Amino acid sequence: MTVRVAFTSGFARRYTGGTRDFDIEARNLRGVVREMDRLFPGLAHALEEETTVAIDGELYEIDFTQPVKDGGEVFFIPKIEGG
Amino acid sequence: MTTQKSGEPMTDSTIVTDSVKRFKWIGTRPIRPDGVPKVTGRAQYGADLKLPGMLYGKVLRSPHAHARILSVDTSAAEKLPGVKAVMTAADLPQQKFDYIGPERVAQNFWHITRNIMAREKALYEGHAIAAVAATSMSIAEEACALIKVEYEVLPHVIDVDEAMKPGAPLLFEDMITRGVEPAPTTPSNVSKRLEFGIGDVAKGFSEADVVIEHEFKTAAVHQAYIEPHACVAKYEADGQCEIWSSSQGHFAMRALTAQIIGAKISDLRVTPAEIGGGFGGKTVTYLEPVAATLSKKSGLPVRVMMTREDCFRGSGPTSGASMWVKIGVKKDGTITAMDGIFKFQAGAFPGSPVMNGCLCAFAPYDVPNQHAVGYDVVSNRPKAAAYRAPGSPISAFAVESVVDMCAKAIGMDPLELRAKNACRIGTPTIAGPKHAHAGYFETVKALMDHPAYQVKLGPNQGRGVASGYWFNGAGESSATMQVNADGTVLVATGSPDIGGSRASMAMMAAETLGVDYNVVRAIVSDTGNIGYTHVTGGSRVTFATGMAVVNVTKTVIKDLCKRAAILWDVDPEGVIWEDGFAKPAGANVGDFKPLSLREIAAKAAATGGPITASSGVNAGGQAPGFATQFCDVEVDPETGKVTILRFVAAQDVGRAIHPSYVEGQIHGGVVQGIGWALNEEYIYNAKGQLDNPGFLDYRCPVASDLPMIDAVLVEVPNPTHPYGVKGVGEVCICPPMAAIANAIENAIGLRMSELPMSPPKVLEALSAKG
Repeated sequence: MTVRVAFTSGFARRYTGGTRDFDIEARNLRGVVREMDRLFPGLAHALEEETTVAIDGELYEIDFTQPVKDGGEVFFIPKIEGG
Repeated sequence: MTTQKSGEPMTDSTIVTDSVKRFKWIGTRPIRPDGVPKVTGRAQYGADLKLPGMLYGKVLRSPHAHARILSVDTSAAEKLPGVKAVMTAADLPQQKFDYIGPERVAQNFWHITRNIMAREKALYEGHAIAAVAATSMSIAEEACALIKVEYEVLPHVIDVDEAMKPGAPLLFEDMITRGVEPAPTTPSNVSKRLEFGIGDVAKGFSEADVVIEHEFKTAAVHQAYIEPHACVAKYEADGQCEIWSSSQGHFAMRALTAQIIGAKISDLRVTPAEIGGGFGGKTVTYLEPVAATLSKKSGLPVRVMMTREDCFRGSGPTSGASMWVKIGVKKDGTITAMDGIFKFQAGAFPGSPVMNGCLCAFAPYDVPNQHAVGYDVVSNRPKAAAYRAPGSPISAFAVESVVDMCAKAIGMDPLELRAKNACRIGTPTIAGPKHAHAGYFETVKALMDHPAYQVKLGPNQGRGVASGYWFNGAGESSATMQVNADGTVLVATGSPDIGGSRASMAMMAAETLGVDYNVVRAIVSDTGNIGYTHVTGGSRVTFATGMAVVNVTKTVIKDLCKRAAILWDVDPEGVIWEDGFAKPAGANVGDFKPLSLREIAAKAAATGGPITASSGVNAGGQAPGFATQFCDVEVDPETGKVTILRFVAAQDVGRAIHPSYVEGQIHGGVVQGIGWALNEEYIYNAKGQLDNPGFLDYRCPVASDLPMIDAVLVEVPNPTHPYGVKGVGEVCICPPMAAIANAIENAIGLRMSELPMSPPKVLEALSAKG
């Protein structure tokens, strides 16, 4: 399954040389994180520690079991904490 | 109170919702389980616990806003009869300088340990320097007075704009701004710069007929929880430590304390006390590591608590801010671009909610060109802490004020302008992802249809509108369920109950089980008796912990069906659970009399032993909160006093599990917003010392300041939650400041751009206007 992976500009500047969008093959969030870590070694740690993920706009904490859809979008955004 | 379903006409003063029609308990208002202990004064708050031999802790605080600590001599205090332990920062292990975790909640324990107890420098008046444990509070106070601290007083800086200027006194001589490339070569008080954007704002502004920009300032305000911070710690000789603490998350207190004192997490057990308000301010630790260290040194239990003055001087308010916002709009009401610069006070250590402020600022709007820059700035004030939708109300004040100015400039009703530009499912947000949930337009529509919106106003009176957005939280929660021998049910969670979660957990369990609400007892368990649960914050508990409760209830139902199958000698698949009974299904229909929960519970031993289950979730799919509010004010031109005449607050609540609690959240958010708008501020003297550290001079609203607040519950259920829950506790505080400012502008033609809009400031603005 092909999914579009996206990062904020700040995150991309720090970790992916400024590239914000990637098309990768994955079935779940574990697959997404593993593939991005293959492309950018060490990125998995940053994704787990620093981000919340929007899967087709729906917010999730990083949970590897979360499925992703063919043609779907996985957008990593900074983790958010409330009051 | 009025309640409205999405897309249907509003019914006035009624509690009938689709929830009541569809559910037995969801949407009803049963008696709260924590009510009697609280109203009879029996509930045990953090300061109420008294253990045999318990000592009284007292923290010595810095009188200086900024000073190098040259020496701390505790010898005289240690010799005072009755003093059992004295501690300084030297009793806490060193911490590595490292930002661990995400932006907003990045924990740097090098900073945290210095906030709990100062090391090289005192960075704000009230900064903890040392602490004493003694057999009485008076002895502890006397001992604190005997501690000799030699200070080198340094120049200080309080205001965020002043702190950003070249040449401002530096809190950290080696702080290089993060997020700037190339990295600056000189230190400053700017800890971090953030930038977000979509589209092309320059192009967007070029397409606008009207472009309005304006600067704003907000004051730092305290959460003003009624109960000050308090805890008791008991360190045993075997290294095990028990802590009783009033906090928004006993698991968070355990983790933070373990790291700060250098203990293993498994050596600490934290029991949540009842909590008298938090609003975000009790998600961080101040006292637990101090109490644990004093207990370890003395070998006795130690209670440490803050006075109200301590709370103001030593615990975190939310940030004050300095902001610039620019919005472009076409004559037909289409907003073409939104831009903003948001400078937030972090207090003495990095970590303001400026990222949230940037991400929430324009979130209600479907505008293709958005840009936001944020600055996290340290200054000599207490470290900022979370406060209800942290960051969002601050940027909303600026953005919603300019949205109103745009409406006026093009001659459009402010609600119509918001409706025209309302975000929908699929609208891109400034961070990039598209909105996955609706709800904003519905709140605007609810107010457009509200009869009070058409009420004519008199001289010096004005009506103001504003909206707000908050992400809402989710994440990790745990729940357990036990079915007792008499058919009653215990639900335990790890979420401290601040906003009525015991009632809502019991209601969701009762609804799922199909039993009477009154047979379900919900409790909050300590860290030794329940799985990890994230803090009660971010409006996450009814959503995430509720999901854990529904899951565990479904597991128990499966078990109950299995046990009925044993009693009937049929396969488990031949049993269904319906309306609180196990019933024969399929080929077994009609063969057996349904078994109640009580009947099955009575046979627990014979059918496999205790009926119990646990559930842990990392919940996701939370929907954000949207709120739109309007208020009517009257401004006294003689005194500058603003009186709120009417306040109507519409909020997308998903589905209100217990509407009274939801209304309470909305009322509370609006009241705190009114205080933020009109009176609350920290007043510092020339030495950087706080002059109003008490409720007499720090002016929170009281009942006589307030109108009736009409909470309009707009139900747009969240499809990712079994009962449609959305968080409701925070977004209600986002709109009031701008709504009131906009109302003042409509009343007397003055654009107030600095909070609080207190009588002296309004009078000054009136005088300047002439």
